Amino acid sequence: MTTSTPEGSPMHPIAPGDSPPPIVSVNSLSVAYRSGGRDVPVVHEVSLDVAKGRTLALVGESGSGKSTVAATLLGHLRHGSRITGGSVRVDGHDVFALPARELRRLRGGTVAMVGQNAGQALTPTMRIGRQIEEAGGTVPVADLLEQVRLPRPAELARRYPHELSGGQQQRVAIAMAIAARPKVLVLDEPTTGLDVVTQRGVLDLIAALRDELGLAAVLVSHDLGVVAHMADEVCVLKSGRVVETAATRQLFADPQDPYTKRLLASVPRLDDTGLAVVAESGEREVRPKVPVPEGSPVAVSAHDVTVDYGSSRAVDGVSFDVRRGEVVALVGESGSGKSTLAWTLAGLRTPSGGTMTHETGDLARPAHRRPLALRRRIQLVFQNADTSLNPRRSVGDAVRHPLRFFGTATGRTEATEQARRLITDVRLDPALAERLPAQLSGGQRQRIGIARALAGEPDVLIADEITTALDVSVQADVLRLLDDLRRERDLACLFISHDLAVVRGIADRVVVLRHGVVVEEGPTEAVFAAPGHPYTRQLMAAALEPDPDAQPYVDDTVDWADAADGDDIWTDPGDGGHRVRRWRSLNAPVAEGVS
Amino acid sequence: MTTLDTTPAAVAPGPRAATRAWRTLRSSRTATVGLAIVAVHVLIALLAPLLTSYDPIANDASHALLGPSADHWAGTDQYGRDVLARVLYGGRYALGVSVTATLVTVALGTVVGCAAALRGGWFDDVLGRILDAVLSIPSILALLVVVTALGTGPAVIVLAIAVSYVPQVARVVRGAALAVVPMDYVTAARARGESTWSILRREVLPNITDVVCVEFAMRASWVVLLISSLSFLGFGADPPTPDWGLMVAENRTAITVVPMASLAPIIALATLVVGLNLAADGLSKAWGVDRIREGL
Repeated sequence: MTTSTPEGSPMHPIAPGDSPPPIVSVNSLSVAYRSGGRDVPVVHEVSLDVAKGRTLALVGESGSGKSTVAATLLGHLRHGSRITGGSVRVDGHDVFALPARELRRLRGGTVAMVGQNAGQALTPTMRIGRQIEEAGGTVPVADLLEQVRLPRPAELARRYPHELSGGQQQRVAIAMAIAARPKVLVLDEPTTGLDVVTQRGVLDLIAALRDELGLAAVLVSHDLGVVAHMADEVCVLKSGRVVETAATRQLFADPQDPYTKRLLASVPRLDDTGLAVVAESGEREVRPKVPVPEGSPVAVSAHDVTVDYGSSRAVDGVSFDVRRGEVVALVGESGSGKSTLAWTLAGLRTPSGGTMTHETGDLARPAHRRPLALRRRIQLVFQNADTSLNPRRSVGDAVRHPLRFFGTATGRTEATEQARRLITDVRLDPALAERLPAQLSGGQRQRIGIARALAGEPDVLIADEITTALDVSVQADVLRLLDDLRRERDLACLFISHDLAVVRGIADRVVVLRHGVVVEEGPTEAVFAAPGHPYTRQLMAAALEPDPDAQPYVDDTVDWADAADGDDIWTDPGDGGHRVRRWRSLNAPVAEGVS
Repeated sequence: MTTLDTTPAAVAPGPRAATRAWRTLRSSRTATVGLAIVAVHVLIALLAPLLTSYDPIANDASHALLGPSADHWAGTDQYGRDVLARVLYGGRYALGVSVTATLVTVALGTVVGCAAALRGGWFDDVLGRILDAVLSIPSILALLVVVTALGTGPAVIVLAIAVSYVPQVARVVRGAALAVVPMDYVTAARARGESTWSILRREVLPNITDVVCVEFAMRASWVVLLISSLSFLGFGADPPTPDWGLMVAENRTAITVVPMASLAPIIALATLVVGLNLAADGLSKAWGVDRIREGL
């Protein structure tokens, strides 16, 4: 399959009919690595072209080979991999035929890369300015920093990477990439791990630079919202093969391949009022939320909780209740204190103020000081399934151990029996119990993480960003599992996420945190229908939808200041428990309170 | 939803841990050669009575200071004892005491190192300073002090070696354990409120066994040398026990007359230490590679 060269899509600056020669041309490229004496193909006959000024997105789930393809543009292969067929041509050069010296000149000079984690790409002991200088090129550092929209470039150039925020680091990485004025930019998940608002800013910057400098860009991403926002063309990869290539608008409007259909349908949308159920054919159906039963008891209750790290306050006077059978979402950017709050509930931190209570006891003490009966009632599921299971123990053992530890099962055979039942409960084949975590996929590992948490027969489940590291289709499955389980087991669930679309689908109530303070809370529908606080509105505006025609992001949020004062903290829009922290606009001094 | 997610992961069910470890070992020539040398030494020490008919401690004044001959392949020493027999038997003391001492040292060091990494805070700080203090004393000096105070004997030597080497092992193991401690499976165990010991045994130790094994092989070679030095100085094995260090000490006065009496134990000692070092090197490399290749 070959990507059709741009036949002038209407949304593009290049005039229709004018079809420039591709600057990047990958021709039936195959890559394999050797393992155990045989070749394992990772990329299979992939072809694509990118013209000057255009952006091609490589989309696929983990293991689809999208990063491998992108890296070949720089002549880079992972250790042990080799080209088994095809060619990669960039600006007229066959990349893999270039001698080492010219390949070095190609990298940076003609093709530059922006990687996923800028924090790790920058040398911690070198000042920003010097690092950018080393990237080569003749553009003065201050100009580059200005070009990536960083404030006070001269001062910034003297700082060290750790003194910058994640978004600023990523901007510095972009400045380094464009320092030598390359013709092609390879962007490998450039905003994964950044907050929505920051992500939006970085993406807008990349788009602007691309147009200013006339760059061809190859964007690798698993996030279809990012792709819809950025790309002219999309190439969907699955297990190293191209399944579909099309202009962005066409692909999102009318996907041809069933895999693409399923992929698109799996993405949660901001206007979904429940979890999406995706059929094999790619049909999408939104499953309505089941209301929390009337009079359901409060399982866990936090009142005015404060957590300090040394002298800095991570959580400041947060109160909320979670009832049995209810999902309460804690939403906020990184640093908003949502994970700290979760860890404090789980007994991994001690609160410095306020009270936390469970039906059966006080939660202010660390886990090892809580009675066993209370400990097992509150269980944690982790964000990263890769590190949440011990790589040297079978997954069956990971579930069995807490069963024995909490006394849910007595005796070895009973524990084995129950572990298998729990593994079935999270919709996995119990035969997987003998496997090591490395032999499972990410989604399977995350399910085992949930099964392990269920082993204590908890009534409160804390889910800390559990779907962030998963592919979209897997994410949808895990969310549905969680939703089913809370109903079957009448679980109170504290769901922590920065992804508003996911939250809308699963949560019954939302608590929005900013800098450790609750700025808005209420029933999901009420909050999403009428967000009262400017911060909530900003979060929603920055969220990217998998729709190329979505409204462009306009930061029309007012500058605001906190106006909570003494006992007068909340304003109440009057729709069933929805309340907003008082704020006042700084733009117009008269505007007050509820917008 | 009711779909059973049965899709097997890309990897077929892996071989058992033991098979895997064995395969890795085989893949490293260095480790294989090293371990083979050590194995030969162990075999010789065990089978010494079958390999020679001479008694290693029986004096025979009429056959003193003989050169190599058909009867005595490596000659005899000043008391007329067969040098080869003494070298063959000599490995018993060196290996026996060294292995015990290394086991004790590495076991203690591992527990201390893991506990420091796991507990952190003031426990780690205080322990770190104590270990620093012990580390600053030269090990042979520490050894001599302990032996002078408590008398010679295998048990004392084991204790003395533990005192001087535990801090070093603890340092290395602490470093390795620190990489495991922030993992979520350790956090999960903490949230369950498990004891430090149980977390150490179940979650941390299985993930640093490679470091511990390499540490064992490396420390073993140091300990063998240290014990021989001690014997050479007269604080280790008591005469007439056949021991390499002691043999060198006894025979160095006659080195011009019967060089083999000194050379033979030196060769034996050197090969054992080289073997242990090779094993340590090979193991560390093999295990480093292993983790990448098998994606564990």
